Amino acid sequence: MPKRKDIKKILIIGSGPIIIGQACEFDYSGAQACKALRAEGYKVVLVNSNPATIMTDPELANRTYIEPLTKEYLEEIIAKEKPDALLPTVGGQTALNLAVELSESGILEKYKVEMIGASLRAIKVAEDRLWFKDACRKIGLEVPASALVNNAQDALRLCDQLGFPLVIRPSFTLGGTGGSIAYNKEEFGEAIAHALDMSPVHEALVEESVLGWKEYELEVMRDFRDNFVVICTIENFDPMGVHTGDSITVVPAQTLTDKEYQRMRDAAAAIIREVGVETGGSNVQFAVNPENGRMVVIEMNPRVSRSSALASKATGFPIAKIAARLAVGMTLDEIPNDITKKTPACFEPTIDYVVVKIPKWQFEKFPGADSTLGTQMKSVGEVMAIGRTFKEALQKGVRSLEPSTPWRAPTETPDSLLREKLATPRPDRIHWLLTAMERGLPAQEICDLTKIDPWFIHQIEELTAVNRRAASVTVETASKDLLREVKRNGTSDEQLAQIWRTTPASVRLQRARYNVAPVFKRVDTCAAEFESFTPYLYSTYEDEDESEPGTRPKIMVLGSGPNRIGQGIEFDYCCCHAAFALREDGFETIMVNCNPETVSTDYDTSDRLYFEPLTLEDVLAIVEREKPQGVIVQFGGQTPLNLALELKRNGVPIVGTAPESIDLAEDRRRFGRLLEELKIPQPRNATALVPEEAARVAGEIGLPVLVRPSYVLGGRAMVIAYDVNTVQEYVAQAALMGPARPVLIDQFLEEATEVDVDALADGTDVIIGGIMEHIEEAGVHSGDSSCVLPPVSLSPAILDTIREYTKRLALALKVVGLMNVQYAI
Amino acid sequence: MASNWRSAETAQLYLNRHKIPVIWDIDTRALVRHLRNVGALRGIVATDGTPAEQLIFEAKQLPGMTGQELASRVTCGKAYGWEKSSVEVATSPWSEQMGESDAHSETRKHRVIAYDFGIKQNILRLLVDHQCEVQVVPAQTSAEDVLELKPDGVFLSNGPGDPEPIGYAVENIRKLIGQVPVFGICLGHQLCGLALGGKTFKLKFGHHGSNHPVKNLLTEQVEITAQNHGFCVDPESLPSSKVEITHVNLNDHTNEGMRHKSLPLFSVQYHPEASPGPHDSHYLFTEFTDLMKEFAQPGSSRR
Repeated sequence: MPKRKDIKKILIIGSGPIIIGQACEFDYSGAQACKALRAEGYKVVLVNSNPATIMTDPELANRTYIEPLTKEYLEEIIAKEKPDALLPTVGGQTALNLAVELSESGILEKYKVEMIGASLRAIKVAEDRLWFKDACRKIGLEVPASALVNNAQDALRLCDQLGFPLVIRPSFTLGGTGGSIAYNKEEFGEAIAHALDMSPVHEALVEESVLGWKEYELEVMRDFRDNFVVICTIENFDPMGVHTGDSITVVPAQTLTDKEYQRMRDAAAAIIREVGVETGGSNVQFAVNPENGRMVVIEMNPRVSRSSALASKATGFPIAKIAARLAVGMTLDEIPNDITKKTPACFEPTIDYVVVKIPKWQFEKFPGADSTLGTQMKSVGEVMAIGRTFKEALQKGVRSLEPSTPWRAPTETPDSLLREKLATPRPDRIHWLLTAMERGLPAQEICDLTKIDPWFIHQIEELTAVNRRAASVTVETASKDLLREVKRNGTSDEQLAQIWRTTPASVRLQRARYNVAPVFKRVDTCAAEFESFTPYLYSTYEDEDESEPGTRPKIMVLGSGPNRIGQGIEFDYCCCHAAFALREDGFETIMVNCNPETVSTDYDTSDRLYFEPLTLEDVLAIVEREKPQGVIVQFGGQTPLNLALELKRNGVPIVGTAPESIDLAEDRRRFGRLLEELKIPQPRNATALVPEEAARVAGEIGLPVLVRPSYVLGGRAMVIAYDVNTVQEYVAQAALMGPARPVLIDQFLEEATEVDVDALADGTDVIIGGIMEHIEEAGVHSGDSSCVLPPVSLSPAILDTIREYTKRLALALKVVGLMNVQYAI
Repeated sequence: MASNWRSAETAQLYLNRHKIPVIWDIDTRALVRHLRNVGALRGIVATDGTPAEQLIFEAKQLPGMTGQELASRVTCGKAYGWEKSSVEVATSPWSEQMGESDAHSETRKHRVIAYDFGIKQNILRLLVDHQCEVQVVPAQTSAEDVLELKPDGVFLSNGPGDPEPIGYAVENIRKLIGQVPVFGICLGHQLCGLALGGKTFKLKFGHHGSNHPVKNLLTEQVEITAQNHGFCVDPESLPSSKVEITHVNLNDHTNEGMRHKSLPLFSVQYHPEASPGPHDSHYLFTEFTDLMKEFAQPGSSRR
């Protein structure tokens, strides 16, 4: 079916600020939708309140509104722009909810705007838990027994009927917000009150528990002609009970038989048809009882989701881009597969590798927060890793997280604690699992404690068995076969160095001697059945290399890794723009990153994409293969910056500000000395390694003081101390946390005005991009502070001083590229 | 390692029991890329340390697929009845049905004779699911003998090898066309093509896998299908006055299905019964039973 001609202008709603459960994956999907619709000749009007996004770049849409995502603002925009259609399915739950509001309040009808991609009815059926359950039952599918309640009395009556444990899910909330599991009446009373409170419609679903069941997701697409394809299956490593956003997940599903899978596929097709999602992508979740194969439908999302972003990266099938084109009436068989060019998008990708996604949590930033994982999503980011086996992908995933160094529980940890850590899912469970396995806890017991499928546990058991064999030799006596075997399992040089009590460099050397090196394979949607034209690559230890590096001058950009607090989408934004600009200048661009939620890991963003962990070992392997003229580390935030010095030592040409300068700026003690030399005033400050020293220097500086570790990001572990005890405690704690790095103690400037300056320099000239004045006084972290540009309360003389200092600093540090300086006035 | 409630033994034990060799730990992408470039090759599997040169020599001595009549080597020795319906997995805790079940005899409405050129059991199961009483006959059974059994329909099965040398089957099919509704799958489809006057050719590396998109030209809908064939019907060679192309492969636009414009015959190149494989094309079995019903009506235009 050709694309619709009666629609000319399409309104796209973005997903707004990043929150847990809705991160930059919607920038990826929104940007794809904008690009796809413009390429088809439509005018695109975009509304989003988040400026730190690629999608809000002026060239992506014909008109971009950076406005609050509320009904009132949207109505004004609709009145002004008069779009023919609204595409609500690429901006997450925010866009979907807003579209429902616009539709129900008659605004869409008033301005004759058609909702495309999903109808109001389809959204409501999918989102309303009761309607959805009825829809499933109608087509003969099972759902967990449940009832909706809107008051505590009714809810309590239900307990007797359904028995414990019970799952409580508030209606119309995002990422499972307000949801929980109750094991008894007391917990239940509390949980239901909270859930009703959180729900905008004061309603919650109380449900039979399917805790411990196997959990699956199917990413599916449908077009106007009722063509239906499954893009991929996702299996959750952590069984039901842990939110899928907090689960380690695996693509494709590993423990389903074909009979079970086809039944699930048929069910997903029946659901998307019954719910009435006419076009686009949906995500359907299932639970399977491992005891008897009973399958129940959990939920569906009638839109592009976090899982679909993962599925797109995991398969090379760009779901959001295709969904946008389906929304304007095209059919899957009319759209070519970008990667093979010759075959259509109407197919189901073949996956001849395994993808593992691991969430990134940051409970350390919120001391006291409950880190138990449940039905409410708590992770802030994720990493994805690709390998030819589950073992390889899992281990690559684990090292993609920061820190990449393998962690194991200390040997004195009692088995009882180990068992408790296995039984309760928390962010570090995978590390406890590895510890338990290495310690020889029986696989069966681990399965019983974790409810993780025995197949996964068996894989980890095999992994540890090989590592145990490795431990019986040394780096020098390890045979080539053994070395190759451990590398094929995805074990890092760093981990081997730990096993062999040596350095990663000597493991590397031994590998070089035996020529045990990775090859790069392509993600091509078809398991090599057809030629692929898109170099989307991952490393593995096999025979044939498919990377085919180009001969043009090339620059490699290191991405930012998983999203963290203090390091979100903005670094990805910079990396993408670096790639765009370098491509314009005629370079071949190479992106390296491991974050599936980003635009940088879209295979269109750069000429070549390596989906790899950002560790020294992995980056060096790519550099060896590609031999780029330069590697850029300064746009990806702390992750690549931390690699800069080591990369340079290994002969990698770092372009931009020299790694030594980065190190100088990051090392507070050396930076302090530089400021003295440049005659730029700074708060009184000192460093300390031990509590006694800290107490002394804090006294000298004068309280209150700001205490923090060196090499920080996003104010991690920063404390304002008003007494000496706090300082001493802090330093004592810091010593426990990690290798000895001095703690910084600064005079705390109360009631000072904080100013952020961004500048660009090339070694001789310095251009100041902007001076931003913080509204909150110094002490509130700049990332948490509102700010205005240009500054409003600073005198011209002060501004001149700021400019002068900034130039002095940039030249002294030999900055080539970006620089940010913070001042207190 | 087995992790499924239906598991009776591990895959390794099962394969050992049936003496089926397993290849593992090779760079499969390298192999696929090689075959993609040079086309399907003859191969040999060895574990006894024979030098590669010797194995290559031996492999080269093996006959190629073209011109090989293999159906008579795999067909059944004598006719038999089939009564099992589909294998199911539990759809609810109350129906933990794991294996094949005997279909109730009162539901068998259509008498189908299935030619066995190397038939897959799931085809038979699905025929039973669709209320067919199935009798399987050897590949060489004559058309006269088949018609003698007064079938409501004849099914032509899949099977290995080149369709062209199976002249006896082509002859029999010619005699059956118009006398009785005919449904063919895979090799059965190719034999129909030959019987209708068309030609077949060998594909470079065939179609293998469970994700091939096939467009039904009558409904304009796409089915995801399982395929496993090295030969293909050339649609240009078919008499367009008699034959209508009904299905086409979207990856390489080769023929995947056809029907006779006036007589009760249709066939597909792919495997609608696939197990493992998607269920998108199960409707073809209903079309077969519908065709048989229609043909049974006195005065049917198909008669």
